[in-house]
Amino acid sequence: MIDVQHLTKNYAGGIPAVQDVSFSVAPGEIVGFLGPNGAGKSTTMRILAGYLSPSGGQVMVNGLDVTRKNIEVRQSLGYLPETCPLYTEMRVREYLNYRADLKGLSRRHRSAGVERAMEQCGLLDVQKRLISQLSKGFRQRVGIADALVHNPPLLILDEPTIGLDPNQIMQVRKLISELSSSHTLLISSHILSEIEATCSRVIVMGKGKILESATLAELGERWSAGVEIYIEVKAALADVERVFREFPEVKSLDLQQTEAWTCGSLLFHSGEHREQVFECVRKEEWPLRELHAKRQSLEDTFIKLTTGEGKA
Amino acid sequence: MKRFLTLWKREVASYFISPVAYILATMFLLVMGMGFWFLANVRLMNGATFYDLLRALYGGVAWFAVLMVIPVLSMRSFAEEKRSGTLEMLLTAPVKDSEVVFSKFLGIFTVYVVMWLPTLAYYPLLQNVAHEPLAYDYGAMAAAYLGVFLVGGFYLSIGLLCSSLTQNLIISSISSFAVIALTFLAGFLPAVSPIPLLREWSEPFSSVLHMLEFSGGVIDTRSVILYVSSTMFILMVTTRILESRRWRA
Repeated sequence: MIDVQHLTKNYAGGIPAVQDVSFSVAPGEIVGFLGPNGAGKSTTMRILAGYLSPSGGQVMVNGLDVTRKNIEVRQSLGYLPETCPLYTEMRVREYLNYRADLKGLSRRHRSAGVERAMEQCGLLDVQKRLISQLSKGFRQRVGIADALVHNPPLLILDEPTIGLDPNQIMQVRKLISELSSSHTLLISSHILSEIEATCSRVIVMGKGKILESATLAELGERWSAGVEIYIEVKAALADVERVFREFPEVKSLDLQQTEAWTCGSLLFHSGEHREQVFECVRKEEWPLRELHAKRQSLEDTFIKLTTGEGKA
Repeated sequence: MKRFLTLWKREVASYFISPVAYILATMFLLVMGMGFWFLANVRLMNGATFYDLLRALYGGVAWFAVLMVIPVLSMRSFAEEKRSGTLEMLLTAPVKDSEVVFSKFLGIFTVYVVMWLPTLAYYPLLQNVAHEPLAYDYGAMAAAYLGVFLVGGFYLSIGLLCSSLTQNLIISSISSFAVIALTFLAGFLPAVSPIPLLREWSEPFSSVLHMLEFSGGVIDTRSVILYVSSTMFILMVTTRILESRRWRA
């Protein structure tokens, strides 16, 4: 569906924005595009959407070369830019009709397409309202409905939840997960929990290059610092430290005393150790309040990748 | 063609749903109306002919209105879309850059033509002012309007070009006013230049002389070709400027 080979993009004055980037997205995949500001995500997405031309490399979208078949590529995808710009003086239905006309839909298909997009995005109740009177969340939905109106197989959404409040984020996330069943999606976001919740694979960019491209599970394995077990036991800090330091495979301890309780994490090199830890606690006859394994979050991986910390 | 019409309709509507077109039209008609009132009451009373009135109105007064209206009318075409980010939405839809430029031009040109339409009401009024019935030369009137639209279209294309170079509305309007004013003033070179060669060379390009010709009922094919081709050329340059974002942005 998307095939990018050795993509480079230099801005005026030769400033490199994207350097030798290669990746692909298969039909039906939901791919998250991650990276700090200035990593080149939006530039790459704008090239995919046909707004910018690549300085080098080849970009194929739906089997079409973005440079040679620019108009056809634009016709074959739905794109939501980062700032979700809209003509705020128009009404929701009027705007979507206008966009459907621009995308070449016939009158009959336009009506059906606009109706479907509004229904998918929950806009039917506000279809007659001026866009300027809508909340940011609803405007974002209008932007997504615009991307959907001609029912393209591929959607490229650049920061679809930026600037939204938590409730609006939940609504947009729900919408994206609904869309994921029928569309191929490429989503960039700073909200990593959103990527974790919606994407099957992530591409991490930094300084114009791809730092990592993997499924979430692969990423966790590759960048995990170890296996972390969190405990809370009623015992003296010194006793707990003494016992767990003698434990095989223990890498480090991060424990603290809070009144009569010792709380914190035991970090192991690898493997499953919850049962052993529990057995040890039982043997020492320490009252146990909590014991669970902590999974490394995508956020941790993201920080490691983009700040240049080495692999574990 | 459907996409072009969609873009054109949206462009025209964007002017008429904002107060800009109404304020501009009011100012424009105020200046033209005052000019007409003065010419009808003073010059026509003092023995001026219908042709004198046409020349004074379209070859003279119209310039004040045109120089005032065109920079404001054209300033927001691209500058506003760039500022608000809607240009990205527009240019990621399956439309050609040339369609966007030409539809925007046709949109502001339509608004410009609509602004001129009420001035047709001057002629029934003129009969009431004149001491004896005036013999209208409809051909001369049509030539005057043709001149107004050709020269106006040319200046609108300059305004559109300036708008495509910036995202600041003030810079857009000031730069287009400056270029339009310079082009207009250069039209006086055939009359005021002390250099004979410059006088001779500048004469075929003088908008001031062309407007006087058109408003006198003379349609010179060379002038028509000059304005149509210059307008097309400037619109093509504007298209290239818009396309340049792909590699420059």
